[in-house]
Amino acid sequence: MKNREVPKGLRDMLPDEVKVKRNIERKASRLFSSYGYREVITPTFEFLEVIESGAGKKIRGELFLFMDREGGILSLRPEVTVSIARLASTHLREEMPQRLFYISNVFRHVQPHLAQYREYWQAGLELLGAPGPWADAEIINIAVRLLRDLGLGRFKISINQIGICNALLEDKALLAAEREQIRSLVESKDLVELNRVLENMDIEDGWKETIASLPILHGGLEVIKRIPYIEKNRAASIAVEELLQVYEALGQYGVLDEIMIDLGVLRRLDYYTGLVFEGYSPDLGYGLLGGGRYDRLMEQFGFSCPATGFAVGIDRLALVLKCRETEPRHCLVGGKDMARVLKRCQELRQSGLVVEMDVLGRGSKELLKVAESRDNWSLEYLDD
Amino acid sequence: MEQQYLTIALSKGTLLKPTVALFNKAGLPFEGVSEDSRSMVFDYEQPMIKYIMCRPTDVPTYVEQGAADLGIVGKDVIVEQGKDVFEMVDLRYGCCRFVVAVPEEIKNNKLTDLNYKRVATKFPVTAERFFRDQGLQVEIIELHGNIELAPLMGLSDMIVDIVSTGRTLRENNLVELVKIMDSTTRLICNRVSYRTKYERIQPLIERLQSLAKGGNS
Repeated sequence: MKNREVPKGLRDMLPDEVKVKRNIERKASRLFSSYGYREVITPTFEFLEVIESGAGKKIRGELFLFMDREGGILSLRPEVTVSIARLASTHLREEMPQRLFYISNVFRHVQPHLAQYREYWQAGLELLGAPGPWADAEIINIAVRLLRDLGLGRFKISINQIGICNALLEDKALLAAEREQIRSLVESKDLVELNRVLENMDIEDGWKETIASLPILHGGLEVIKRIPYIEKNRAASIAVEELLQVYEALGQYGVLDEIMIDLGVLRRLDYYTGLVFEGYSPDLGYGLLGGGRYDRLMEQFGFSCPATGFAVGIDRLALVLKCRETEPRHCLVGGKDMARVLKRCQELRQSGLVVEMDVLGRGSKELLKVAESRDNWSLEYLDD
Repeated sequence: MEQQYLTIALSKGTLLKPTVALFNKAGLPFEGVSEDSRSMVFDYEQPMIKYIMCRPTDVPTYVEQGAADLGIVGKDVIVEQGKDVFEMVDLRYGCCRFVVAVPEEIKNNKLTDLNYKRVATKFPVTAERFFRDQGLQVEIIELHGNIELAPLMGLSDMIVDIVSTGRTLRENNLVELVKIMDSTTRLICNRVSYRTKYERIQPLIERLQSLAKGGNS
C-alpha cells in the first residue's frame, strides 16, 4: 500500500495546525514590516554551486539534490539567506541598507524527529549593507519582540561574537583540521573530549584554560571578565568590544531580560563572521531561532557588503505556543426554506461572523449536536 | 526568576550504584533511589529534582528530546547513538572498552585478515565506523544479547562488544584482538536546558566535575 504513504520527514498540515502557522506568519510579517523590512520570494530550488558557495561544503549531506535536463545539479533550498544574498547582489545593489524578509519552506535531508521535519517553514529577515552594533541589535530586538508578540512566556536569547573563539584559535599555530575540531567541540559542548584534545597539545596553560572555558561561559556582562587571556589577543579584544556594544544597544531597546551572553554559541553554518545568536524556550528541547552577522557571504556573489539576519522555525514555534488569536463567532445555519437560510447566512456573514450553511437539509436536533461538538460554534435554525 | 524543576535520567543496572554514591557526595537527594522500587520517577520537592529510571540505551533519547534535562550514561551508548546532546562531565566510573574479539584459534590474525568477514555486535554503528576508518569492509550482524555466542555457533567470525574485565570473553574462548576505544560514564545535558536552566545546571556540573577529578567513587 504505497498510494497513501508520504515521503519520510514530510507531513500534511491539517486546518488547526495551519491556523496556528498562519497566525505566526501574520504576526511575523506585521512586525517585520513595521521595522521597514520588505518581503521577497526566492526560487524553491537553486544551483548546487550557489548553495555551496554560500553555505559551505559541509551542508552537502543534508541537501535534496536532483539534475536539470542540461546536466546542472539542483538543490532544494536548505535555507534562504544564501538565496537572498544572491538575489540582492543581482537586483538590489544600488540602495543600501536593504531590509528584506521572507516566509518560506526549506528542505533538509536529516533524520526526522520531534520538531525536525525534512520540509519545514521559516520566517526570517536580513539587514544588508549595515555594519556595526546598531544593526545587530536591531535584528536581535526584533527576534525578542516577535517571541513576546506571540505570547511565548519564558524564553532566552543567547548571544556571542564568534570572532572571540576564532581569534583565540588563530593565535596559535594549529592545523586547519585542529581548529575545526576544537570549534566543533566548543559548539557541541563536548567538554570531555575538548579537555582531552587540549591536554595533548603543547601550548601554554592560560590559552588552554580559556578555550576550555568558552563552552561554559554563560550569563550577563560578568562573563567577559572571566576570560583575562583575551586581553593578550588584539582581534579577540576587538570582538569582545563589539559584543559589549551590541549588549549595550540591546539595553537601550529594553530587551536585556531575555538576553544572555554564551561564548559557546558558534552556529554550524560556515558563513557567519561576527555576532551570532540563538533563541530557546524551556518548553522545547530544540532551538527556536538563530542568526547572526555574515559579512563575507555577499562577496561570494560578486558584491562585497556587510549583512546580518536571523530565521525562526515556524513549526517549532507552533509546538510551544499555547494562546491562539481570538476568532469571530462561528455559526451554523439550517432550515427547510433554503431561500431564507441563504439570506440569513449572507446577513450573518456581513456582520462579521464565520457562517456555514447546512446543505444537507438536516433537522434541528441533528444540527444542534454538530454545533455542540465543535469549539466556538452556535446554531441558528430557521423554523417555518 | 521562578525556580524550575531539574529532571535527571538515570541508567538502570551497573551504573546505578556508583551514581547514587556520587549523588550522596554531591549533596543531591538519593534516599530511596533504587531500581527494585516499583516507581520509575523519584520526585524530591525540596531541591526540586526529579530522577527518572531508564534503560541505559534510552537515556540519550530522553535528554535529546528534552524529556530530561540531564542524563547519566556510558560513553559507549553515546557514541553508538550519536544523539545531539552536550557531554559535560566525565564521571570516571563504569570503565569499560570497545574491543574486537576473535576466537582463540585465530588470535594471531591481523586486523586486515578480517576484511569482508562477519562481525556480530550490539553496536552496529561503532563497529561499522571502526572498520571503515581502517579501510576495511565487514558484514555487520546485529544481535541484542549474548554476543559471545555468535562465533561459537558459526554465526560470525568475530565480535565487537564492550568488556570491562574480559572474563566473559575468556569463558567463551574469545581473545581481544584490538581495542577500539575506552568508555566511562558521562553526564550529558540537553542543548536548550543548559541555556534555560543555567543557574541550576552549571553549579551542579562544577560540583560533579571536581568530585570526579578527586578520584573514583
